[in-house]
Amino acid sequence: MTNVPVLVRMPKLGMTMEEGTVVEWRVAVGERVEKGALLLVIESEKNEAEIEATASGFLRHTFVAEGEVAPCGALLAALTETADATLDAAALAAAEAPTVPPDAASETAPPRASAAPATFERRAVAPAARALARKLGLELDRVSGTGPGGRVTKQDVEAFAAARERLVPVEEGVAVELLREGQRGEPVLLIPGFGTDASSFAALVPALAERFQVLALNPRGVGASDPSGDGLDVARLAADVAAVIAHASPQRPVHVVGASLGAATALELALTRPELVASLTLITPFVTATPRLLATIDAWCRIAAEASPAALARFLAPLLFSDTLLADERRRERTLRGLAAGLPRVPPATLERTAAALGAWSGTRADDLPRVAARTLVLAAGADLLTPDAEAIARAIPNAARVIVPGAGHALAIDTPAAATEALTHHLEKA
Amino acid sequence: MTQQRKLGFGQAVNEALRIAMETDPDVILLGEDVAGGGTREGEDVDEMGGVLGTTVGLVKAFPDRVLDTPISEMGLIGTAVGAAATGLRPVAELMFIDFLGTCLDPLLNQAAKLRYMFGGKARVPLTVRTVTGAGMQAAAQHSQSLYWMTAGIPGLKTVVPATPHDAKGLLLAAIRDDDPVIFCEPKSLLFAPGEVPEGDYEVPIGKARLVREGSDVSLIGMGATVRMCEGAADQLAKEGVSAEVLDLRSLAPLDEEAILATLEKTGSVVVVDEATPRCGIASDVAALCVDRGFDFLNTPVRRVTAPHAPVPFSKVLEDAYMPSAAKIVAAVRDLRT
Repeated sequence: MTNVPVLVRMPKLGMTMEEGTVVEWRVAVGERVEKGALLLVIESEKNEAEIEATASGFLRHTFVAEGEVAPCGALLAALTETADATLDAAALAAAEAPTVPPDAASETAPPRASAAPATFERRAVAPAARALARKLGLELDRVSGTGPGGRVTKQDVEAFAAARERLVPVEEGVAVELLREGQRGEPVLLIPGFGTDASSFAALVPALAERFQVLALNPRGVGASDPSGDGLDVARLAADVAAVIAHASPQRPVHVVGASLGAATALELALTRPELVASLTLITPFVTATPRLLATIDAWCRIAAEASPAALARFLAPLLFSDTLLADERRRERTLRGLAAGLPRVPPATLERTAAALGAWSGTRADDLPRVAARTLVLAAGADLLTPDAEAIARAIPNAARVIVPGAGHALAIDTPAAATEALTHHLEKA
Repeated sequence: MTQQRKLGFGQAVNEALRIAMETDPDVILLGEDVAGGGTREGEDVDEMGGVLGTTVGLVKAFPDRVLDTPISEMGLIGTAVGAAATGLRPVAELMFIDFLGTCLDPLLNQAAKLRYMFGGKARVPLTVRTVTGAGMQAAAQHSQSLYWMTAGIPGLKTVVPATPHDAKGLLLAAIRDDDPVIFCEPKSLLFAPGEVPEGDYEVPIGKARLVREGSDVSLIGMGATVRMCEGAADQLAKEGVSAEVLDLRSLAPLDEEAILATLEKTGSVVVVDEATPRCGIASDVAALCVDRGFDFLNTPVRRVTAPHAPVPFSKVLEDAYMPSAAKIVAAVRDLRT
């Protein structure tokens, strides 16, 4: 440490954390603290966190007293190397100078830089894509790029234009994309999980479409669906699903199938609009997000904003897929390419808003599971790292069937499509 | 119906020369050893037929019209330009295009300019046949693809056929053209056989040839690289990529409409040239794509060329120096991933 003081700030410990309370200072002003030693305890969203000193020095001043609330990033304290080093406005300003302020919590939980990720480079758009968008009158910033390095290609614009033909209005000025496959049988509506689009069900659709009218939804902000806007929550996502059902199947309820966050939406719908739900299938569901799930989503948002879809897919692979899939190099690489092609259809802004919705919903329905009236299948993955509570959920829902696919990863529909299809069709046919 | 036969590239050239001389008494050939100048006393006068045997047999058929010249490119090309300007329709052989430097002035400042300088009252119906390219271990001074130099001179036309069929048809068109035409014979193709119709036909100068249709990427080649493009297209087809192949055939004039048409169709262009990259045909085509075809571009334009270096003699190095189907496939993969 030089004469420049080290500043301690309120960390951002979770996606939804906006402020925290200083519970207790563990070091008195004037005392020396060693790097790594406990400095203070904060509380946020009913969780307490211990904050360590990032540098050795003397605690010279605290700016927030015990019991007081401060927003994330707010200045909490200043340390100096010596007990009598000057600590005035100039010294604090010097400490402010670094672009990244030292953050006491960085060791335990990496803080988010900001809710809205910076755009690091100009998005590449192929001239042919630009020309076509101009001709069709489409806004290019809505079109996700699947070309090398995320370049928006002519095919992306064509796909977006085709997708806009499939839009279903869900409220005034907002429409979502609904893909349809199969003509016969009862309607089955698929709701994708966090950060993915309807293509994540691609491996299930052909078999399902032989016996059912398959509807697959792209939620707000995903694919060609209209942007999610601020204040997105799971209730809103469920209301969108209700609107889609009213549009696509006005006469009869539909079989609702959701994966992960899509299962949360489906569960919310089953609790709030039971008359629309012929049966419920929860694939790798959660009602309370685990720290690992939240941390994964946090990283997902950050990587999506800063790195290529290929890099994001590679990051997600060990969290989403089974050892069996990961060990099969050809299948793994093919799966990664498919995943990377779909990931850009969920832009960073949608990820941020959806992450906030997920965080806010987490825990709110834990006690409501016994109220689920729909005939329910819980389809769980035996080696699920992200939503390990599926079995408990199945037990809490009255008469729920449960199928656990041994060794499968969280992204069940991609990881073990055959087993998922079998369990799903069995359930739907009995329902 | 003319029957389809297979001829080598050099045989097709020979046949075109014979037909041109049969149909027009003003056509003469001149060059180093074109009349078998290497022949020794007592041997058949026509043993050699040029250093690569391309003109074999012609001096017997047209004894007064096939002339061996001294080993002076300035002398022979200067003579040919003068003969063309004064009424004949000469076909001069510049043994290798590498020797262009020794006879540049008659081409650059005379043949290319006379029609213009005399207000259209003069014409220079000259054809210069010349061997180009690498691939036969002829080393740095006999392996260059300098057609970009002649293509860059207003007033000269430059063609590079890729097949025996086009060699015959383009040579007949070149000889009958009233302007000077540089006719390039890629060394690595000289003995490659292909179907050649009997009889007299012309391939129009300035028209590219669509070799195969595709929808995902356009491979644009010329001369020796057309075969490489076709090989790459075969490989890409196995990978599910549909490649269109366009053979430029004529470098000056350039068939800009054909280039833009294939670009519009696929949105993606890889130009393949065995010449060096700077100031070359590949750069020229790339510039055209960006300039006039910008709104068609779905990917960057990629060039696959020789490096900016002399052609190596070593077989291993020469192979590494040349474009190849594998390099084209790699470029296409790179554009798509």
